[in-house]
Amino acid sequence: MDTPFFELRNITKYFSKVVANKEVSFSIRKGEVLALLGENGAGKSTIMKILYGLYKADSGEIIMEGVERKINSPKDAMALGISMIQQHFSLVPAHTVTENIMLGNVHGRIDRKVCEREIGELAKTYAFEVDPHALVKDLSVGVQQKVEILKALYLKARLLIMDEPTAVLTPQESETLMQFVHEFTANGNSVIFITHKLREVMKVADRIIVMRNGEVHGDLKCSDTNELELSRLMMGKDLIPSKRGEGDLSADGNEIRLELDKISVVEDDQVPRLKDVSFSIHRGEIFGIAGVSGNGQQELCEVICGALRSTSGQVVLDGEDITDLTIHERIDKGIGYVPADRHKDGLVMEMSLAENMMLKASYGKKWLRHGLLDRNALNSYTDTLIKEYEIKASGPEAIAKGLSGGNQQKVIVAREVDNGSKLIIFDQPTRGLDLGAIDHVHKIIFAERAKGKSILLISTELSEIFTLSDRIAVLYKGMIQGIFKGSELTTEKIGLLMAGYNDDKRCTDER
Amino acid sequence: MNAKFRDLLVTNFLAIVLGLGASALMLLLLDKNPIEAFGILFSSVIRDKYTFADIFVKATPLIFSALAFAFTFKANLFNIGVQGQFYIGALIAASGSLLLQGRMPGALALVVVFILTIIGGGIWGSFIGFVKAKYNANEFLVSMMSTYVALAIMNYLLRTVLMEAKHEYPQTDALDTTVWLPTFIQGTRLHIGFILAVVVAISVWILLYKTPLGYRIRVVGYNSDAARMSGIDSNRLYVVAFFISGALAAMAGFTEVNGVQHMLLQGFNPNIGAEGLGIAILANANPIGIIFAAILFGALNVGGTIMGQMSGIPSSIIEIMQGFVMVFVILSYFVRSELETRRAKRSLYKAVEE
Amino acid sequence: MINLLARALMMSTPLLFGSISEVFAERSGMMVIAIEGIFLLGAWGGFVGTYLSGSLLIGMLIAILAGVVTAALYGWITVYLKQNQVVTGTAINILALGVVSFLHRVIFGVPITPLTVQPLLALPIPILSKIPIIGPVLFSQNILTYMMYLIVPVSYFVLYKTSIGLTIRSAGENPEAVDVAGINVNRIRFSMVLMAGVMGGIAGAFYSVGYLGMFTTNIIGGRGWIAFAICFLGNWNPKGAFIGALVFGLAEAIAIYMQSSGGGLFPNELFIALPYILTIVLTITRKSFNVPAKLGVPYIKES
Repeated sequence: MDTPFFELRNITKYFSKVVANKEVSFSIRKGEVLALLGENGAGKSTIMKILYGLYKADSGEIIMEGVERKINSPKDAMALGISMIQQHFSLVPAHTVTENIMLGNVHGRIDRKVCEREIGELAKTYAFEVDPHALVKDLSVGVQQKVEILKALYLKARLLIMDEPTAVLTPQESETLMQFVHEFTANGNSVIFITHKLREVMKVADRIIVMRNGEVHGDLKCSDTNELELSRLMMGKDLIPSKRGEGDLSADGNEIRLELDKISVVEDDQVPRLKDVSFSIHRGEIFGIAGVSGNGQQELCEVICGALRSTSGQVVLDGEDITDLTIHERIDKGIGYVPADRHKDGLVMEMSLAENMMLKASYGKKWLRHGLLDRNALNSYTDTLIKEYEIKASGPEAIAKGLSGGNQQKVIVAREVDNGSKLIIFDQPTRGLDLGAIDHVHKIIFAERAKGKSILLISTELSEIFTLSDRIAVLYKGMIQGIFKGSELTTEKIGLLMAGYNDDKRCTDER
Repeated sequence: MNAKFRDLLVTNFLAIVLGLGASALMLLLLDKNPIEAFGILFSSVIRDKYTFADIFVKATPLIFSALAFAFTFKANLFNIGVQGQFYIGALIAASGSLLLQGRMPGALALVVVFILTIIGGGIWGSFIGFVKAKYNANEFLVSMMSTYVALAIMNYLLRTVLMEAKHEYPQTDALDTTVWLPTFIQGTRLHIGFILAVVVAISVWILLYKTPLGYRIRVVGYNSDAARMSGIDSNRLYVVAFFISGALAAMAGFTEVNGVQHMLLQGFNPNIGAEGLGIAILANANPIGIIFAAILFGALNVGGTIMGQMSGIPSSIIEIMQGFVMVFVILSYFVRSELETRRAKRSLYKAVEE
Repeated sequence: MINLLARALMMSTPLLFGSISEVFAERSGMMVIAIEGIFLLGAWGGFVGTYLSGSLLIGMLIAILAGVVTAALYGWITVYLKQNQVVTGTAINILALGVVSFLHRVIFGVPITPLTVQPLLALPIPILSKIPIIGPVLFSQNILTYMMYLIVPVSYFVLYKTSIGLTIRSAGENPEAVDVAGINVNRIRFSMVLMAGVMGGIAGAFYSVGYLGMFTTNIIGGRGWIAFAICFLGNWNPKGAFIGALVFGLAEAIAIYMQSSGGGLFPNELFIALPYILTIVLTITRKSFNVPAKLGVPYIKES
C-alpha cells in the first residue's frame, strides 16, 4: 500500500460557540474521489477549510506524501496543489471571468489579451463553455462553478475540494460535473466532495468519510456499503421519512385561493425577471415550484407578498384583486412568507425572539396598550410558541443571533404560520437545516395544509418538492415551463425542464 | 450583575481613565506636572457651587446633540450634520426671541420660540432624510455638508439683518431677561434647560423602546431588508428619524441661546456636534446613558477651562481629553467583544472536557 | 480669466491628492473618514517642519509622517480591531484638532505676529510656459501641481492594469475571494489607509506651506471632506476624481476671486458655501453609482 497523497491526523478545531472538529483523522489517495458525507453542521466544511489554510486548527497535523506540512494560508495550500471551491463561490461578481481567475495568480502588469487567450484555451481543453470576457454577475450559477473549476485548473491543482457542488445545479449539469470529476481523477489527481446527499455519494465516490457532530463516524469503501447504512451513520439513528399527512386527499375540487394571472416583472429594457406567470393554488393544496435558484423564485415570492410590484398581470386572493395592496395590507389578508434568506429577510438577528415575533405586526394594535408596547403580552405569546414549536432558546428575551439555524427557522415558521391564515409561502424552508429540523418543518407544512391553508413551496431540492407537493410547476428564467401532478414527472424530465427544455426538447431560449 | 454589564462598566471606566492618562502625558510636553494639573481639574470643579453647577450647564446642549446623533444611529443612519442643525436652532431661537420679546409674556414667548426651534431644526434635518428616501442620496455626505451651509447662513445673517444695533461685532443684541430660561439654583447659571434635556432624553428612550415607531426605527437600523419584507416603509422612517434628530439638535441651540449666551454669537460652541457623537458612542447610543456621558464631557469642559486659566495650559487640552477618551472607548468596544468570545470559548472547553 | 483658471488648477491639487488616495482606499473597502484629521496633521506637520528646518523638503517629509501616523491609528482600529469607520474617523478628527492646537501652542506659545514661511514657488517650465493661455494656466504651477498631472494616469494604470490594482478592487467587492486566493485582506486594506496618510499629508501641507505660508487650526475647514466627497461623486474612479477635483478647485478659485472683488450682487457667504452646496446638489442628482460592494464593512473571519 503506497503512502496516501494527503493525510489528516487528529485535527481539532474550536469555534467560539461549537467544537467544529474533534480528533478528525482520514487520508486521501492519488486518483481517488473521496466523499465527505454528513449533515449540516457536522464539521465537513471546517475540516476542509483547515486543509485549505483558511482556518487554523487548534491541534493536529497535516501530512503530504509522508511529510508533515504546515498550511497557514491558502497560498501554502495552493503551493502544495490544493484548490478548494467554496459552497458560496468566492468570485467577484463585478469583475470578468479572466480578472477572477487572475486574482492572486499574476504579478505586476496584467496583459489582459494574453490572459484571456490562456483562459479561453484552458476552457476549451475541458470543453467548458465559458467566455473569458463575461462579467461573473451575468453568468448562471452553473457557469460560475465552471469559472471556479477553471481557477483551480489554472493553478494546476492536484487535489480539488468541492463544497456541496451540486446544490445549485440541474440534474444534467450535475451529470456533466461528475464526468469532469472522473476525467480529472483518471489523470492521477484527487477530488474531495463535500455533500449531504446520499445518492450522489453512491454515484461518484470511491471512498466515503461520514461525519457527525464534528467527528468521523465511518470510513468506508463505496462498494462495501449502501444508502441505508450511510444514513444511519450520518444521523446516528434510523431515518423515518415524514408522511404525507392523513390520507392523500386531492385538493382539485377545492375552491381556488390564490390566482396569478400573467404576472410579468420587467425593468426597462432588461431581461424579464418574471414573464407571464400564471397559476392558481387551491385551498388545502401544496403547490411546489422547482427550478435552479436565481430563475425568478425570489421575485415570484415578492410579487405575491407585496414587496415587489409586477409590471403587468394580476394577483387574486379569494376572488379579490390584491395586486395594488401594500405588504402590510396583504399581511392583514392572511399571507405568510418564510423567505429563503432568513438572516437577510426574515429575522432581526440583534433583537429578541419576542421582538422578532411582532416584526410584521408593528402597524397594528395587537401588541399595544395605552399606545405603548405591551411587552408582557408579547412575551407570553412568544413563550407559547417556543413551547409549541420546541424552539431551543432560553426564553422570549433570547437574542435571535444566539440560536442555531434550525431554531431560527422555527421562529420564522412559527410567526408566518400564525400570520398566514390563508396562504403561506415557503421559500427554501429547509435549506441548511439538519434532518431532524427538516422533518419538523415538513410536518408543520403538512399540518397547515390539513387545516385547509394553501401552501406555495419553493425549493431547489427536488426530493423535497416531490415529497411535499400536490402539484409541481417548473420555473426557468422567469417562465413557468409547465404544471404537473407529482406522479407525471420523472427526475430526468424535471431536470430537462429546469434547464429550459420543453417536452419537444427545444430550448425555451430559442422561441 | 451579569458578566456583560460588568464588562461594560469596567471597560468604559478604564477607557475614561486611560483617555485622561494619555492626555496627562501630553502635559509633560508643556513641562507641567500632570498630577498637579489633574488635581486642579478635579478639585476645581467641586470648589464651589457655581462651578459645579456649570458642569450641568455645559452638559445640557451635549445631551441634545448626543441624542440627535444617537437617534438616527439607531436607524443605521449617520447624521454628521448635528452642528449645523444646532446653529439653525440657535438662529431661530435668537431671531424668534428678539421678535417676540416684549410682545407677549416671557413664558409664552419661550414656549413659542421652543416650538419654532423644533419645527425649524426638524425641517432642516428632514431635508437630509428626504433626499435619502427620494433620491437615495448619501446621508453622510449631505448632512456633513449641510453644516457648512448652515454656518454660512448664520454668518450672513449675523452680518446683516441680525447684527447688533451698534454694528460692531457679528452678533445679535442681547435678549430681554424675560425670554431667558430661568435658573433654578440661585447663584449659578444652571437653567431649566438641563431639566428639559433630561426629560427629553427619557422621552427619547420611551419613544425608541416602548412605541411601535421606535420599534420600526430600530428594525430598519438593524436589518432594512427584513423591515422591507415586513411592510415597514423605511423611506418614511428616514424622513421621520431625521426630523426628530434635527429637532433634538436644534433644542441645543435653544437652550444655549436662551439659557446661557442670551444672544447669538458667530461660530460659538463649534464642537457641539462632534462631542455629541463622542458622547453617543460612549453611551452606546442609549438615551439614558447619554445623560451621564454628557455630564462627564461637561465636567471635562469646565475642568479643562479652569485648568487652562490657573496653570497656563491651553484650552485645547479639552479636545485632547475628549479625543483620547473617545478613542479608548472605541477600543473598549473591541475589548468587550474579545472578552465575550473568550468567555464563550472557555465555557465550551469546560463543556467538552466534562 | 487666465489667472482664475491657473488658480483653479492649483486649488484642485490637494483635493486630487486626497480624493485619489480615497479612491484607492475605498476600492479596497475602507472609507478614510479620518481624512479631515489627516489633512490637518499634514498641514501642521508641513508648517512646523518647514518653519523649524527652513527646508520645504523636510517640511513635506514631516507632513507625510504626520499623515501616516494619523492614518495608522485609524487603520489599526478600523482594519484590525474592526470598529465602525465613521465613529472612529470622527473621534480621530476631534483628537487631531486637539493635538494640533495643543502642540502648536507647546512649540510656538502665543506669538504676537502670525508665523509665516516662504510658500512653495511656481516653477514655470521653460518654453511650455510661454505658450499663450495654456502656458500660464498649465505650466506655471508649483511642483505639486505638476505631480498631479502624473498621478491621474499612473493611478489609473495601477488600478486597472496591474495585479495589485486587481487585488485592491477585489478586496472592496468580495474580500472572501481575496482571502481564498491566499492574499491577506487586512494587509491590503491597511496599506491603502497608510497610503491615504501619505497623500493626505501632502495635500494638507499644500494648504499651509504650499500656498498660504502659514498655519491656523481651521486651515483645512472641511477640505478633507470635500476630497472624500469627490471620490464618491467621481464614482470611485481616478478619472472621475480628476474631473471632480477640477470642478471643486474652480469653485474655490471663484470663491476667492469673488471675495477679493467684493462679490457684487451675492453675499460672500454664498461663494464660501459654494463647494458644499455643490456637493449636496451633486450627491442628490448623481445616479448609477459604482459603489464597492463591501465599502465600510470590516472583513471578519470566524475563528
